[in-house]
Amino acid sequence: MSTTAPERQGPGAGAPAAAPARSGAQPRPIRTSGWASYAGYGVVALVLALFAVLSPVFTDPANVASIINQATVTAIAGMGLAVVVIVGGDDVVEGGIDLSVGATAAVAGSVAAVLVSAGLGPAPAVLAALGVALLIGTANGVAVGLGLRPLLATLATMGIATSLDLVVSQNMKIALEGQPFTWLRDAGGLGVSGAVVVLLVVAAAFIWVFHRTRLGVNAYAVGQNPTAARVAGLNPARYRFASYLVSSGLAGVAGILLASRLSAAVPGIGTQILLDIILVAYMSTVFSRRLVITIGGTLLAALFVTALSNGMTLAGIASQWVGAVKGALILAVLTVVVLRSKAGNR
Amino acid sequence: MSHSPVEAPVNPGATTAAPAHAAPTHTTPAQTVPAGSELRRGATSRQRGGLPRLDARQLVAPLALAAILFVFTLLSDQFLRADNLAAVLNQSALLALAAVAMTLVVRAGGIDLSLGVAIDLSALAAAALIADGYYAWVAIAGGLVFGAVVGLVNALLIVGLRIPPFLATLSVWFVGTSVQQLLTGGGAPIYLSGPRVPAEFAFLGGTGLVAGVPVAIAAALAVAVLGWALLETTRFGRALTAAGEQPRAAAIAGRRVGALTFSAYVIASLLAAVAGVLLAARTNGFVPASGQLYVLDAIGAVFIGATLSRIGRPSVPGTLVGVLIFALLANGMNLIGLSFFWQGLGRGVALLLILLAGVVLAREGAGGPLRRLLGPARR
Repeated sequence: MSTTAPERQGPGAGAPAAAPARSGAQPRPIRTSGWASYAGYGVVALVLALFAVLSPVFTDPANVASIINQATVTAIAGMGLAVVVIVGGDDVVEGGIDLSVGATAAVAGSVAAVLVSAGLGPAPAVLAALGVALLIGTANGVAVGLGLRPLLATLATMGIATSLDLVVSQNMKIALEGQPFTWLRDAGGLGVSGAVVVLLVVAAAFIWVFHRTRLGVNAYAVGQNPTAARVAGLNPARYRFASYLVSSGLAGVAGILLASRLSAAVPGIGTQILLDIILVAYMSTVFSRRLVITIGGTLLAALFVTALSNGMTLAGIASQWVGAVKGALILAVLTVVVLRSKAGNR
Repeated sequence: MSHSPVEAPVNPGATTAAPAHAAPTHTTPAQTVPAGSELRRGATSRQRGGLPRLDARQLVAPLALAAILFVFTLLSDQFLRADNLAAVLNQSALLALAAVAMTLVVRAGGIDLSLGVAIDLSALAAAALIADGYYAWVAIAGGLVFGAVVGLVNALLIVGLRIPPFLATLSVWFVGTSVQQLLTGGGAPIYLSGPRVPAEFAFLGGTGLVAGVPVAIAAALAVAVLGWALLETTRFGRALTAAGEQPRAAAIAGRRVGALTFSAYVIASLLAAVAGVLLAARTNGFVPASGQLYVLDAIGAVFIGATLSRIGRPSVPGTLVGVLIFALLANGMNLIGLSFFWQGLGRGVALLLILLAGVVLAREGAGGPLRRLLGPARR
């Protein structure tokens, strides 16, 4: 592979690790400049403008608020997945991936709802829900630490968590009412829900950590070149383990927010949200000049994907098309990324 | 065939060792993989093999199979009976087809999450064509064509556009699910009433016996034998393995890696389409998204099977062991009356434990990885 000098600057310098040998002769993505860096923003603006023209309701403040409300779940869980991919590397077969996030969110929502309806206070119920989520994360972290591929480890825990969700909820919808869940659903001020407040806090914290602190630089370094990171004195195994805990923890938070928004834990919702979570995490690369997964990009991608579903509904497009459009969207995003990285490598 | 004998000696490591099955991973990685990535994947199980001794990991899957047989024989007196085991085989036939297809793709260095879509679309096409009164052979051909289209799309995305296999096939999964809903008017099942089903189609669905064996089992066995022969005895299989494990080395040695990968996805979706046609015949119709259920089990079976190999390479016989483990586990859990809710837990835990035992035993012992996790640096 022909490489240029700036790519070899070491950890955190912005060059993702060498393309893995198994997935073909992909050139390594590098820093790009010019119009291509803004292609992601351009496409997003274009699509949003299209919907604004097609449906006058789309830009209505109430509709915008509802889009933001709906985006909270995929945004928070997506950030967790983004952390795993940042730390584990972005090769999807060998690198970091957490397929259990959707099921973890579902089981966390069910646990909280079951405990609250059993008469437990909201604080212990939420703590128990997060505890279950973190247990799943621990299982992922240990399995990956022992050398299992993340794809397989989290595939297995996804099955386990899905089953746990069924066991806990007995495959029934369980109502989740009362404070603080109604606060999360309704009142956050300025027409947005409390969930949005949670999202802003989480997003601000993670954006700060991953894009402004040494810890964040180290996390990228571990994912992009573990060998160099190890030589530089970091312990990649610890970062990886922690990333799975973060991912499950955020999935647990997302699950509680989802159950609050629906006023109930709905069984089997895990697989439905998994694909959206993966979509937003990987889509964040188009918002990055260096074509890497970012926390801020994940937030933008979650807002965009939710706006897309919302806009298609408002424009009167049948719901069956939404899946096809999302699939086409991932492909478009990935094609842009691959083409841009090829162009940058010449 | 992509093998070009003239260019073969360019990389003696990859070619002279090719006839031995363990070949490509034994070549020193430093020669064939760019710096950085070989060190990065040095810690994965794939390259950990190659030691002359028989690894304990190779016993994990057979022992798990034996343990499942033993436990359920104790727990249920109906488990170890010929008719029950025959039923298990019959039920596992479609999973076996999907898993053999997945083996091919994983051998080629990829993964195919859209196999379920190929199963579904071929079942949908076959059922719809029968419902419209076409001959059975038209329906079967239509089903196979629909399935093959899925593979073609995958191959174009992965080989043509160089999109990573996981994400490309995930997108196809999205799109394919949407296509199913559009074609069925939002997800309405298709039911075929008995008299309208041609005898040939019903034959596929279970009334038929080939040499005393139900058609589905016969098809799965035939595909397994063919798949094994293709991967292990032909030049194509060796080239495909090399292309999957060391694409760069294979390319230097003159293999057409792109064409090999392309063919793997198309063949896999064709095999999935066979499963889809059999599914339509067996269920006398089509229920949307019924093929998705096979995908995750197929992936699990392939990687359970890979623990049977000293170097962690997936193979058809290993995959069949994985399929049997899943099938016997499901059957046993049903027989002892375990609630459906708990069955996913049982399967997930079994999968996790077998795979973990595999990776841990492939190393020097359980102590090493633990030290590595807690110690200052990864080896």
